[in-house]
Amino acid sequence: MTDTFDHRSLPEDELLAAEYALGVLAGADRAAAEQRIARERTFARLVAEWEERLAPWTAEIVEVAPPPQMWDRIAVALPAQAQGGGLWHSLTFWRGFSFAAGALAAACLTALIYLGSITQQQPLVASIEGGGHRHFVATIDARRGTVAVVPAAFSADPTRVPELWLIPADGKPRPVGLLRADETVTLTLPAEFAAFAKGDAVLAVSLEPPGGSTTGLPTGPVIATGKLTSL
Amino acid sequence: MDLDANRSLIATALGRIPAGDRAALQTVYRLTSAKLFGVCLRILGERGEAEDVLQEVYVTVWRRAADFDASRASPMTWLIAIARNRSIDRLRASRQNRKMDPIDAAAEIADTAGGADSALESAQERARLHGCLDGLASHERAALRGAFFDGNTYEDLAARMDVPLGTMKSWIRRALIKLKACLEQ
Repeated sequence: MTDTFDHRSLPEDELLAAEYALGVLAGADRAAAEQRIARERTFARLVAEWEERLAPWTAEIVEVAPPPQMWDRIAVALPAQAQGGGLWHSLTFWRGFSFAAGALAAACLTALIYLGSITQQQPLVASIEGGGHRHFVATIDARRGTVAVVPAAFSADPTRVPELWLIPADGKPRPVGLLRADETVTLTLPAEFAAFAKGDAVLAVSLEPPGGSTTGLPTGPVIATGKLTSL
Repeated sequence: MDLDANRSLIATALGRIPAGDRAALQTVYRLTSAKLFGVCLRILGERGEAEDVLQEVYVTVWRRAADFDASRASPMTWLIAIARNRSIDRLRASRQNRKMDPIDAAAEIADTAGGADSALESAQERARLHGCLDGLASHERAALRGAFFDGNTYEDLAARMDVPLGTMKSWIRRALIKLKACLEQ
């Protein structure tokens, strides 16, 4: 077999960068390449150049619209931006804000309970889904301020617990409580969040260390979400 | 949409993310999620897993947007690299229960010129890459495809094409050297 290839070669680093960009490395080789990308600018540059060379190949890949609830899942999973600044990121501001908002919400809740008792408000339900499966079904009784959550096809993970979050229109998750994979849990909706439990809000479930998130925001992956709708 | 307009929209939105602008991330998501979901789905082959990885991809974009340098890289290339790498990580983590069909290089269709969408990549760059890929031997092209689109490792490719691991490594490395030489012509 004749080979017209002229055997010009490339430096070892450049070949390694190309192999990484192609995706063919595994295990320790892939991990070592990733460490070099993080530490060595020149090597990271070589990888970026190979990514650029191969990128036009992805034009072959057909675009597929993700499911409609995908953005909500992502929004819930976003951590606070570490390098960001300003009022939005000030913990002191949020503490003050949540205190003020809490007082306001408590006042609203009182009004809501009163209104609920006279209008016989309908319960809100959400089918909490992710990865093509329904994980939980939640029913909010705004009149009583409770959330009943029934596990559907949630498989337990011994190291992490499912935690329920309420995300109103502002996109900021509020912790509601921990769920169980094997039985229905009825949680009391914190009074300051009750006003958020309406048709435009989303319920989400994240996986957290035992005892739940200690930061007030999801720390683990958000595995399922569902929009609240009136029955 | 016009290629340059789209590129600059994505780059501008990426630039606003480090300040904590969620709406900017949502703009990036709106403009790129169908492409990136396609990439995840192509490598992982399963919707549920592709959805989980897509979430990780945009969380990574949120965390690392400050690393993106619009003067040096194309935003789409940067995003696709994140989507491919997160998908490959997931694939490697769950690889034991995956079944792979053999690759028959002889049956490998030489048609690499087809493009599913043209909105995000320049037609000229695409034609150049495909011209160079067509210049490779069919077994080399088949091996590169298996790595790029199926996330195969050297071991996977050696098994799928029924050659020793050392042979597969030299095929891929020679193909990469030839590809670079051709693209620089």
